[in-house]
Amino acid sequence: MPTEQQQFEQIALPHLAALLRVARRLTFDPASAEDLVQETMLLAWRGFRGFQSGSNARAWLFRILFNAFHGEGRKQVPAPPSSPAINPGLQEAVEISEALGALPIEQRTVLLLVVVEGFTCREAAGILDLPIGTVMSRLSRARQELRSSLAPMAKEAYR
Amino acid sequence: MTDEELDERLRAAILAEQIDTSSLERSIRKRMRRPRVALWLAGVAACIAILIAAFFRPQTPPLCVAAAEDHRREIVEGEARPWLTDIAAIQTLAEKQGVPRSAIAALGTTGYGLERARLCFLKKQIFLHLVYTKDGEEFSVYLRPRGSDSPFDGSVRQASVGAEDLAYFETDRLTAVFVDERSKAQAAAFARAGARVL
Repeated sequence: MPTEQQQFEQIALPHLAALLRVARRLTFDPASAEDLVQETMLLAWRGFRGFQSGSNARAWLFRILFNAFHGEGRKQVPAPPSSPAINPGLQEAVEISEALGALPIEQRTVLLLVVVEGFTCREAAGILDLPIGTVMSRLSRARQELRSSLAPMAKEAYR
Repeated sequence: MTDEELDERLRAAILAEQIDTSSLERSIRKRMRRPRVALWLAGVAACIAILIAAFFRPQTPPLCVAAAEDHRREIVEGEARPWLTDIAAIQTLAEKQGVPRSAIAALGTTGYGLERARLCFLKKQIFLHLVYTKDGEEFSVYLRPRGSDSPFDGSVRQASVGAEDLAYFETDRLTAVFVDERSKAQAAAFARAGARVL
């Protein structure tokens, strides 16, 4: 029979990459992102006895991540300056990444959860402790802003 | 660009990022083992500290607890009670209870003014409850002749019971408890002044 730690590792560690990916877009600093994820995992481990097996572990972990991020009063770091692109594919990734980084954190958070990580709006609302209507309106505004940021880039690309 | 196209571009850009979590995973596993041991040790240390504190904590004499409760009821909460306010009548009452008149007079020389008095029971013993004032503040002084089962010793000791601060001592003739609810230092100062003259 697996120990409690083994059970936790089986449930939580597969989501490490997703947590780190989102943490990097919140902190814009690899070291701070790792700290945040580490803290998230330790908080989750301490609260693992309260976790109901069979419930959505991924949503549970993201909720802890956002609580830790906001609870620690972490400053919102501005997005880093653009780096020179090497090839067109990478160039697009950098540009999208920059456009995402320029969004207000509330919009960026919703985009990351729903579009990148594949949560439903209802699940994102649960993670962020927000009404579903707020999540949907933030998502809509985030898409609009992102689209308008990317439009000039698209024109450049077609020249 | 439709929402779907936008979402697809965003996903492709973000998910293309290479993420190596191996070192992070190692440090998480390492730290997961540590806190439980630390918590366990902290719990044991806290239990030991509580036991030591309980063992060495000076016990408040039951008489002081009773005096604090009486002071709270009669002075702080101002329960309606019959009081003697005439100094001569108070001295006569004191004398009948075995507290010398001179003790009442002596306490009056310490800078505190006698306001009123009555008899009360503390731990099934009759005490003379005297109320003194200084700078608008009321102090209770409980006096009775020293008995054979003396609860205190000669030095002025201090205690706190709830919001009440107490100072208490015994002379070769009297048992005395001083109570104030505002300042431990003032209760002790009055008791030390009393100990010099009683």
